[in-house]
Amino acid sequence: MAGILILLTIGLPWIGGVLVWIAGWKRLAFRNTVQLQNSLAVIFSAVAGVASLVLIGFATSETVIRIPMGAYFGDLTFIPNGMGVFLAAVAAVIGSLAVIFSIDYMRGDPEPGRYYFMVLFFIGAMAGLVLSGSLLFMFVFWEITALCSYGLISYYNDDPKAVAGGIKALIITQLGGVGLLAMALFAYAYFGSYEINVFLAKAGSLPVVPLSVLAFGMLAAAAAKSAQVPFHTWLPDAMEAPTPVSALIHAATMVNAGIYVLARFYPAFAPVPYWKLTVITVGVVSVVLAALMAMVATDLKRVLAYSTISQLGYMVYAVGVGGIFASQVHLFSHAVFKALLFLGAGAVIHALETREMGQMGRSRADLPFVRVVFIIGALALAGIPILGGFWSKELVLEAGLSDGPRWAYLLALFAVGLTACYTFRMVWLVFFAKSTVQSDHAPHDAPLAMRTALAPLAFGALTTWLLAGPFSQLLSSTMPAQPIEPETTLEICLSILRAPATWLALLVIAAGLAAWWGRERLTWLTKRLSWLADWAAAGFGFETLNRWIVERVRGAAGDLAILQTGQLNWNLVGTVAGLLAVLAWLAWVIY
Amino acid sequence: MMALSPMNITMLGVVGLLGVGLYGLLATRNLIKMVAVLQILVKAAVIALVLAGRVSGRINLSQSLAATVIVADTVVAVIGLALAVRVRQRFGSLDLKDLSSLKG
Repeated sequence: MAGILILLTIGLPWIGGVLVWIAGWKRLAFRNTVQLQNSLAVIFSAVAGVASLVLIGFATSETVIRIPMGAYFGDLTFIPNGMGVFLAAVAAVIGSLAVIFSIDYMRGDPEPGRYYFMVLFFIGAMAGLVLSGSLLFMFVFWEITALCSYGLISYYNDDPKAVAGGIKALIITQLGGVGLLAMALFAYAYFGSYEINVFLAKAGSLPVVPLSVLAFGMLAAAAAKSAQVPFHTWLPDAMEAPTPVSALIHAATMVNAGIYVLARFYPAFAPVPYWKLTVITVGVVSVVLAALMAMVATDLKRVLAYSTISQLGYMVYAVGVGGIFASQVHLFSHAVFKALLFLGAGAVIHALETREMGQMGRSRADLPFVRVVFIIGALALAGIPILGGFWSKELVLEAGLSDGPRWAYLLALFAVGLTACYTFRMVWLVFFAKSTVQSDHAPHDAPLAMRTALAPLAFGALTTWLLAGPFSQLLSSTMPAQPIEPETTLEICLSILRAPATWLALLVIAAGLAAWWGRERLTWLTKRLSWLADWAAAGFGFETLNRWIVERVRGAAGDLAILQTGQLNWNLVGTVAGLLAVLAWLAWVIY
Repeated sequence: MMALSPMNITMLGVVGLLGVGLYGLLATRNLIKMVAVLQILVKAAVIALVLAGRVSGRINLSQSLAATVIVADTVVAVIGLALAVRVRQRFGSLDLKDLSSLKG
């Protein structure tokens, strides 16, 4: 049963994607092509979402599907453990909501076939990535998600910014993919198997040096995929994608893949010297830097992108201090409220046709429904009780207080205040500030399909924390290697409310809010800190670093161009000589 | 002085064909001659395969590999000649010096 459900969760979106594409062929000339494509995409993604939800009931730590793929590729296996089924459900359910939202958002688009194909292909691949029990096929699914992300960032491919953003995302996440591939090949070389369970069971027997290489390689892979410092620069530029895609791929699912592998392989890598400290540092630095950049960004989607980096940083930090459960709960609540915020932002952008927050405001963004759901999402992001974000963030901070260095905890705590501050700045600028731009056409509130997608997410942002207890029991029963205690929701909530860390964090959140309300009285401070604001607006120099690397690579390519003589003779001799060199090297190695 | 056993004669043949082929690769300026030179190189490889099968005692394997190489090589030759025809139609010349539009 679980096997069938897994195949449905992965296969249905893929089949649906191909059908949507075929339905768009001009030769078929359906009477209402766009409507047919919309219905196909919604039906297939929604059924996959239902299948993934049913799959949660069949979670187990055993391999349920094993497809032999030949001697060199190992078996394609699927393990529906607690973490996997839950992330697959997040991908498929939020995926189907994003597809529903797209009906309105992509109305009038000339090529809905291409769009839906890549979105549906992504949903299936994401489910495959988290359910796969084989490192090699995990890598394959990982790359498919990167490819879909690239195709969707560059979806408006006549816009040079979109094309550049797509290529940037592709290159940076490829760097991470190499780390994952290296890990799969290492595992095969040492254990003769690609299976994750074999790897987790035997990793302790590896010598220290290869294990450290693997651990840090995987950290780089996770940081690239989850947009953590210093690989975070692709995520803000990925905001050129259509907004439902930003919500699905760049907030709720794909960027979580890095957190997933970190948490999944934590038991194997935790003993590696300095690994946990590095994870903590990467997480906390991302939290603080991204929050500061979100404070000064003026583009609504970029603010949300920076806040995604920052919240993902909390999850990485939680893994580093051993709070696997805290990281997964925060991942869950973040996926819901950030998808809500992005889709809400999409509705605003769709209505006002601008992404600049300076051009929004009270009289322009007069969208009652969107305002309500957006504010629910924002409250969850700021960590206001009793929304989802409050409980999960407190869990992370509690884990940080009980383990890990004190400076990291203090920085994470400080960033909680920053989060509250930039969240309220964003809400204020979008919905309440005085409009500086006048426009003649009245904005329209979210149409039906958008509301259909936004309402369940808003409900989720209010209630997902109630699932924390069953979630902990699911994780602890199906993932024996991870340090997770089964608890009930009531126990978790009581322990959060009793912890002094919670009240400290609430105090910091209140301070962050007060800082925004009293910003006119704090001008002496903001003037002092203007250098920091300028630096943050410039991306803390990481953009310069990126540009420098790109220039260097281009320069090196230009210098190497003299090797291209254009003479066929030289090319052929080079080919033959290279072949002979490889043969000679092999002969030397073997004999 | 090396004894002129059949094995050594074959070996010398392989090395000689390789030498002719490599020299030809560098010296030829005509596209059709280039295809012929590649054929010489591949023939050296085929003989080397058969020889290796004889030495290792797995003559069946080496013969089937040699047959495969001959088939693949025929395809290469056909495509190479077809390209030469197109090049002649397009550039009006078969001289490799005139075909350096890939120069970096």
